[in-house]
Amino acid sequence: MAAEAPRTAVTLMIDGRGITVPKGTTVYQAARSAGVDIPIFCYHDRMPPLGACRMCLVEVQKMSKLQTACTLEASEGMVVSTTSPAVRAAQESMLELLLINHPLDCPICDKGGECPLQDQAFRYGPGRSRFIEAKRDHAKPLSLGPVLALDRERCILCWRCVRFGEIIAGDDALKGFERGFASEVGTPRALPVESKFIGNTIAICPVGALTSRTYRFRARPWDIDPVASTCTYCGVGCSVWLDVRGGEILRTRAREEPEVNDAWLCDLGFFGHGYVAAGDRLTTPLVRREGRLQEASWDEALDLVAERLRASAERGPGRVAFLGGRRLSNEDASAAAGFFRDVVGTPHLDHRVDAPPDGASLGVSWGLRSSLEDLGRGDVFVLVGCDITEEYPVLWLRIKAAIDRGASLVIVHAKRLEIRRHARRELLDRHDRLAPLVAALAADETVASGERVHVLLGRLAMDGPDGPNLLRSADSLVRRVNGTLHIARGRGNDFGAQRFGLLPGEGGMAAPGILQGAAAGAFDLLYVAGSDPATAVTDGAAWESARSGVGFLVVHEAFLSETAQAADVVLPALVLPEKDGTVTNLEGRTLALRAAVKGPGQARADREIFDLLAARMGVVRGHDTATRIEPVARIEPAAAGAGASPSLIVVVADRLFTQGSMAGRCRGLIELAGTAHCLIHPADAARAGVTDLGLVEMVTEHASVVVQARVSDVTLPGQVLVHRGYDGVPVHALARWSPAPAGVEVRPVAPPGGETP
Amino acid sequence: MTEAAREEIRRLAGLYEHRQSALIPALFVAQQEAGYLSPAVLESVAEVLELPVTEVTSVASFYGLFYLEPVGRHMVHVCTNLSCMLNGCQRLLSRMQEVMGIQPGETTPDGRFSLRAAECLGACEEAPAVLVDEDRWAAVSPEGVEPMLERYR
Amino acid sequence: MATEAAMPESVLLRWVRTEGMAEIEQYRRAGGYDAARRVATELTPDQVIEMVAASGLRGKGGAGFPTAQKWKFIPKAAPVKYVVVNGDEGEPGTFKDRTLIEGCPHLLVEGILIAAVTIGARKVYIYLRREFYRGRLLLDAAIAQARAAGFVGERIFGSDHAVEIVVHPGAGAYIAGEETALLESLEGRRAMPRQRPPFPAVAGLYQQPTLVQNVETLCHLPVIIGLGPERYKELGPPVLFSVSGAVVRPGVYEAPLGVTLRSLIFDHAGGMRPGRRFKAAFPGGVSSVFLTEADLDVKMDPDSLRQAGTMLGSAAVIVVDDSADMVEVMARAVEFYRDESCGKCTPCREGTAWIAQVFERILHGRGRSEDLALLEGIAGGMTGTCFCPLGESVPPGLVASLRLFRDEYERRIAAGATDGR
Ligand SMILES: Cc1cc2nc3c(=O)[nH]c(=O)nc-3n(C[C@H](O)[C@H](O)[C@H](O)COP(=O)(O)O)c2cc1C
Ligand code: SF4
Ligand code: FES
Repeated sequence: MAAEAPRTAVTLMIDGRGITVPKGTTVYQAARSAGVDIPIFCYHDRMPPLGACRMCLVEVQKMSKLQTACTLEASEGMVVSTTSPAVRAAQESMLELLLINHPLDCPICDKGGECPLQDQAFRYGPGRSRFIEAKRDHAKPLSLGPVLALDRERCILCWRCVRFGEIIAGDDALKGFERGFASEVGTPRALPVESKFIGNTIAICPVGALTSRTYRFRARPWDIDPVASTCTYCGVGCSVWLDVRGGEILRTRAREEPEVNDAWLCDLGFFGHGYVAAGDRLTTPLVRREGRLQEASWDEALDLVAERLRASAERGPGRVAFLGGRRLSNEDASAAAGFFRDVVGTPHLDHRVDAPPDGASLGVSWGLRSSLEDLGRGDVFVLVGCDITEEYPVLWLRIKAAIDRGASLVIVHAKRLEIRRHARRELLDRHDRLAPLVAALAADETVASGERVHVLLGRLAMDGPDGPNLLRSADSLVRRVNGTLHIARGRGNDFGAQRFGLLPGEGGMAAPGILQGAAAGAFDLLYVAGSDPATAVTDGAAWESARSGVGFLVVHEAFLSETAQAADVVLPALVLPEKDGTVTNLEGRTLALRAAVKGPGQARADREIFDLLAARMGVVRGHDTATRIEPVARIEPAAAGAGASPSLIVVVADRLFTQGSMAGRCRGLIELAGTAHCLIHPADAARAGVTDLGLVEMVTEHASVVVQARVSDVTLPGQVLVHRGYDGVPVHALARWSPAPAGVEVRPVAPPGGETP
Repeated sequence: MTEAAREEIRRLAGLYEHRQSALIPALFVAQQEAGYLSPAVLESVAEVLELPVTEVTSVASFYGLFYLEPVGRHMVHVCTNLSCMLNGCQRLLSRMQEVMGIQPGETTPDGRFSLRAAECLGACEEAPAVLVDEDRWAAVSPEGVEPMLERYR
Repeated sequence: MATEAAMPESVLLRWVRTEGMAEIEQYRRAGGYDAARRVATELTPDQVIEMVAASGLRGKGGAGFPTAQKWKFIPKAAPVKYVVVNGDEGEPGTFKDRTLIEGCPHLLVEGILIAAVTIGARKVYIYLRREFYRGRLLLDAAIAQARAAGFVGERIFGSDHAVEIVVHPGAGAYIAGEETALLESLEGRRAMPRQRPPFPAVAGLYQQPTLVQNVETLCHLPVIIGLGPERYKELGPPVLFSVSGAVVRPGVYEAPLGVTLRSLIFDHAGGMRPGRRFKAAFPGGVSSVFLTEADLDVKMDPDSLRQAGTMLGSAAVIVVDDSADMVEVMARAVEFYRDESCGKCTPCREGTAWIAQVFERILHGRGRSEDLALLEGIAGGMTGTCFCPLGESVPPGLVASLRLFRDEYERRIAAGATDGR
């Protein structure tokens, strides 16, 4: 080994100390690895060095000028000084120049106490300024949309935020404008920034120029208590710090976890903690009396539920069904599964509440078939019906990094994705015609010659009318090219629910079957936890009839959701940031949750509720006894039924920012979600007399909803995309499970008072 | 933006390995047609070249010859760099300001001229050098300002 | 306006000053494209590189790098290579490239063909500053004529070589003349310099090996191949000097490398205007440190000028006479840098703006005695700390002016408010 060292390692002297580092290491990194501090501003270790701020200048023997340590590769025998008089003078000069236009309003700046500029001015600064001219004066702060504020005079033009958008996120959200001393970062004409990752720029801004509008002036770093936990929105399972003060989560920050989220978060995670402290959390059990839900004690409520469960058991086995899991921890899911299987004795449980009966989702287990890290090493990515930035944003960052290393991206979708610019190939067709596109990909040269091909099949593809065909095509594609097929389906802790047994047992029904069974009177009691089937089920009538066909509905909820409103007993549940435990992410990795705050009122963990019920039913259970259920084997799905397809179809798509029960209660995210809307192609809009941003009524055979129309070629002719997740806009009611696809008519809604409002 | 301009931009994009290389020439095509690069024009260029409009705007704002605000029908650039400064460009510029009634950076109220102080135009042997639209004028004297401007209606 | 009568023999300007050289027939009748034909059909790349090396040709864009040596850095085996012609000509006081293009665009086209065939590039981009409208028309026409003649496109001169030429406009940014910023600009981005290494010869346009060469440098190639490197060298070698400012006959002059500053100003450019005295001259554009009367006999070659504390740069001589105020001259130079700084690095962006503000105060009668030390201090902080040569060119001239014309600064400050402009 030692004999090989010269080829792979170099030894240099930094401030008189010999340091051996792998070849290719920069002087900055070498110094840092040896504990020598070199001040930096523009350098960020997740991006290639830029060498712009000139703060990291060092003196190198035999080099005539000072060198930037961040860009200089360490070489054998190099002799570096980070403290020579010339270096000190340069550092003082850079800081003096940077502070020329910096307001020094540290006492009222959010960054105060955790500001690299403040620290370095203290350590390396000249301690005086010779600048007597007027400082740059900007009306402050500039708001760049609902979540981001920019104090331009605090900006030191390090370009980190701009490069984050170019290199890491690929969304070019913030850019530089003008040039020279007039340079500014921001958006064109200070328009709201368009990004799903902007929180990261707040995190990496080395001064207080970019700040969170939801956090500004709320706390100083030193009165915050950071709790290491996991984000539970989309299923990637990003590691986070929940910064807590006075029993409230004030902000979320990325916690570095190279194997999952690296150093990043999406904005749903970054700004998505507000719901925890929402004022309308349920704090006591509710029991339906005289037709109304009324407050009750835990004993009353639990006794009632236990009695109903026992009564059902007396009538025979399997007359109870359970739906839900996405918002449960692993421990909750395991407790639920054990409770229903072993205590209640029913095989009818399922977490896949939003899966239709005839798509492809019920036939396969959900999640990635490789680790995120392996996936990131792929050289070809095929996204089929997977709107990655809307569904698994941080997973996109890994794919983007792979693309930058030379991997290719192929998109098969019914929508022009926002990342299309990064794709080598984009295959578009209407939602019900995607399967042939996938089949044709086997002939694509790049895909065929890929060495590590990753095909991600998304919800839109799997649940569509073509789902089974798509699954088959995708499956045969990966077999031919020796790739991996991933089922990019499921959110939150769906993956933990799947792993810990919230799936039908032997003879048990899947979610659509449970709903159909309930409608047919097969169940005495329906139990829901960690889910809101009233809005999640994609057949509007299925839930309604299930609800009316079942005698008794028990719901665990944090909010009075639509499902809870229809319940007989509502038990107030803790939300995930209030619980210790674990969740499972989409690659099957177990991630720790830590209770950051206490829950409101008498709310309890789901697991505890099941334990209490079990105790009342005569069984006391330990948590470790849950049988681990292997994911269901892959079932060959049936061919889709042929049928005439309507000329304009409705497709229910997912969006990252919604106004659902969690995000809809977070400041900033509500505004990012905007109003419920549909996307209609200009050709269809013209035919229907629909104008951009006007209100339209979407009418199907089954229901109608009023939403805003956005006329855009993001969708294709013959297909209207509508986003679910807006509470009070029941887009799920528009369709039935069959026949699919559902035809739709779109009509402009005349503004009240005629043509000219 | 007209279809002809879009077509021209697509042709330009074909001259390069990467379509973003056509951005600067494309912005000139658009500016020539629209007079200046309004947000809508920038949007169109971004759309044709399939680039983020943030990037297109950012690039346009870097270069001195892209106009992001409305300008006059004729653009008058007066070089004020050293060689022209040593040849009396200041008097020439003052005369221009007087005749047009505007300061450098402004546009006459009738929208006929915009006046700009320019960096070296690469025509120092003709100092003070003036560029009106695409015409270079050599050694313009203060007295020559009015007859010169008369040529531009 | 300029006369070449004083020139013993002009080998470059001959093409420019002869009527009708924008037309290919005329150019060919005078022997044009013979050199390129030889390069494409007879000579090996190594032979051409040897000839260029023997000629001693150095880049005329400002850095003065030996041309043949740069060609040797281009990896031979690379499948895709580019030639990028630097026609941004933004260095104040420089107008030789424009003169060449307007006078004889075919000379540039021929030079391009020689370079492209030698290094094995099939695609050439000419980055031409937008303000050269006339030059653009002439160049477009010349390329079309050359294409029609079979000199541009596939199988040029009947050989196996293919060379495509595309003219690309600049958009008004001095920094875009710096070769890596130029590549950024050519890729459709903000013209901000790139970190070097890697050098463009290794990873340039689209990260492929790229030869970036100034217009004039390329125009020398047909002459070198035509005359042979020995004869070319005997002629000086010849250099095009742009002479402007306070002289009687500003213009482009061809003179041997090493001609004295005095000879350029007084023999070629007609000397100072009646009643005026020489005060200072920038020998290589505003980016070079100015010379004073004591330096008039300095030789205009890279080594002599380096010894004199300045540089040949783009060989653009800007002459200042005794009617000019050195404080105003330096203030104008600093304003130029402030406005043209790309804004990437701290010292250039903030330093130029700060210095310009101090100058503005001094010029407006609000100077303070400590301002001269302050200017020196800011200049010191910028020295050796900037990302690229743009920022680095500010301190030397400023410091020299504070040393050599300190009295003019002091007078300005002393006069204070009473003398304010
Ligand atoms: C700020 C700056 C501006 C420059 N402007 C030009 C220019 O306008 N034209 C040019 O040919 N070279 C210019 N250069 C020099 C180029 O970087 C580069 O050295 C040259 O194009 C190489 O060609 P050559 O070897 O033929 O001279 C500039 C350099 C700097 C630092
Ligand atoms: S806003 Fe912050 S991150 Fe962005 S350039 Fe300015 S200082 Fe750097
Ligand atoms: S950290 Fe090295 S130049 Fe900014």
